[in-house]
Amino acid sequence: MQPFVDVSKHTSNRTVFRYLIPLGIIAFCVLAYFLSTQFDRVPPILKRGMQPSDFPQLIIGLIIILSVWLIFRDNDKTPKRMTKVVHLTMGLLVGFLIIADIDLFLGLGLFATMLTILWGERRAWAIILVGLFVPFSVFFLFDSIFEVRFPRGLLTNIWYG
Amino acid sequence: MDALLNGLFALADPYLLMLLFAATLGGVLVGALPGLNATTGVALLLPFTITMEPIPAIAILTAIYCAATFAGAITAILINTPGTSASATTCLDGYPLAQRGEAGRALGMAAVSSTIGGIISVVCLMAAAPLLARAAYNFAPPEYFALTVFGLSMLATIGDGSPVKNIISGAFGILVATVGIDLLTSVERFTFGLNELSEGIPFVPVMIGVFGISELLVQADNLHVERKQVVMKSIRLPNMNDYRKVWKTILRSSGIGTFIGILPAEGATVASMIGYNEAKRWSKTPEEFGHGSLEGIAGSEAANNSATGGAMVPTLALGIPGSPTAAVILAGLMVHGLRPGPTMFTDQADFAYAIFWSMLLVNILFFFIGLWGAKIFARVTFVPIQILWPIVFIFSIVGAYALEQSMMDVWIAVGSGILGFYMRRYGFSVVPMAIGLILGGMLETRLGQSMVMLDEKWWLMLNRPLSLFFFVLTILALFGPPVWDRIIKYRFKRKVAGK
Repeated sequence: MQPFVDVSKHTSNRTVFRYLIPLGIIAFCVLAYFLSTQFDRVPPILKRGMQPSDFPQLIIGLIIILSVWLIFRDNDKTPKRMTKVVHLTMGLLVGFLIIADIDLFLGLGLFATMLTILWGERRAWAIILVGLFVPFSVFFLFDSIFEVRFPRGLLTNIWYG
Repeated sequence: MDALLNGLFALADPYLLMLLFAATLGGVLVGALPGLNATTGVALLLPFTITMEPIPAIAILTAIYCAATFAGAITAILINTPGTSASATTCLDGYPLAQRGEAGRALGMAAVSSTIGGIISVVCLMAAAPLLARAAYNFAPPEYFALTVFGLSMLATIGDGSPVKNIISGAFGILVATVGIDLLTSVERFTFGLNELSEGIPFVPVMIGVFGISELLVQADNLHVERKQVVMKSIRLPNMNDYRKVWKTILRSSGIGTFIGILPAEGATVASMIGYNEAKRWSKTPEEFGHGSLEGIAGSEAANNSATGGAMVPTLALGIPGSPTAAVILAGLMVHGLRPGPTMFTDQADFAYAIFWSMLLVNILFFFIGLWGAKIFARVTFVPIQILWPIVFIFSIVGAYALEQSMMDVWIAVGSGILGFYMRRYGFSVVPMAIGLILGGMLETRLGQSMVMLDEKWWLMLNRPLSLFFFVLTILALFGPPVWDRIIKYRFKRKVAGK
């Protein structure tokens, strides 16, 4: 039974790899091309050699041609399946962006804490170091020495008043 | 001559010397830490240099570049894991030597070869960059356009991925560079009405994303990798016999590395592979290669470190990056309002020579730091990645934010990181994308200027000998390797059939 399972996995990945990625790139290019047709056009006296849409369209055309080539000639190996940890790390990144909207350092602290636990760290001092000590130190280093003004939020408001 | 001396005097500043020492130390750490390399280190440090004067800012970026390239050898020798891809060939002989209890000898040889290679390449940089700049001084926009196209065509051969995917990645970078207000016509492009995008996608958050955050996701996939360190009793420098055996190899590899570094987009990794192969080809004892040959270490290390100086030649003289790390340094030059290119050696000559001298000094500094601190740096390799990478992430995000103090840059960094991870996963190198983003604006401007100059008849570019020369080189760079491959395969088949 084992070989059968492997082959089916391989085939579905191979299809994604061989066709869906170039087709996805082409779809992106078609959308970008459409957007480029919406750019303002300038009168000949102001156009300085090219219309604003000319150069992006040239590049989009090149990408489309190369993507079509990829469909027929891509011999790269199928990448191995992503582990659950990668998916969860990516989820944490998205979570970070949401929480960063409330407070950047709250987002950084929570992300660092969750990531270190997710990646297998169980020692309390290490978790406190990356989740609490480092974000606080970085905040005060940048605020006091580099004079970076961080966005106001739940925690930063306590400092900024 | 004045500029040469003024550049040297600029180094007399104790603040700059202290910064260079710290940056060299930091560079060696970056090279030794798992997953971090010179490009990531320079990209992460770039935002923190914004408030500095241009000389210290660029000097510390180049210091990180040189020192991290060397430090890759420490992990390559002690734990058989190259700290940077440029040290991959050092593993082949460094680790077997370490297993035989000669780790110190291997590290000593790596330090000596790297230092000599680095110094030779900086001397070449000092001589070649102004000459190249003088040659390019009279380039008109069509020549510049053709040269930039040639530089971008060299991206095809970056890494071990498919050339077509590399070009797609580079073209995508160029496309991203068109976001914002068109400098020639003041028309908004791909901004979706967002004010933050009107000045375009900023380089720095993208660099942090594609080199730093994407690596975090790659590391998430490598949590199970175990690293075992070889015991190192003491650092023992190579003896006179060893020197006698390798001096030719060091000189040869330094020449190869400098030349490869000068080629646009080709960096230390390619240089070390060619340096190693040539060392083996010319060796009287090629059978020792792969089993602990000092010549192998010298060939690889002299080549990869000399490529750093070589890579700075086109970066400073032409504004075309000679390697991925040089591309990030190029972004740093632009962020600091400097204009890399032929005018750098007339308008900002003191600055250029100060950078050369600082690189020379760094090559000497990392020799001592690397030798005396090798034991400590080897321990750094064992910092658990579950502690290291959350800290790297915090610095990445704060660095991305600090530059413009905009949350949009944080979004761009994280978005670029996720995009970069998927690109790498499916065989699209992120280096061409980064270089395309940096050179995209320049490419479009030069094409526009050429079109105005040639009355919108682009084909007249082919009537200009230098433009034509660069276009021919572009075609050779793109189609030469596959055609050559086919010729070799055809010959091989005929040979087999003949037998």
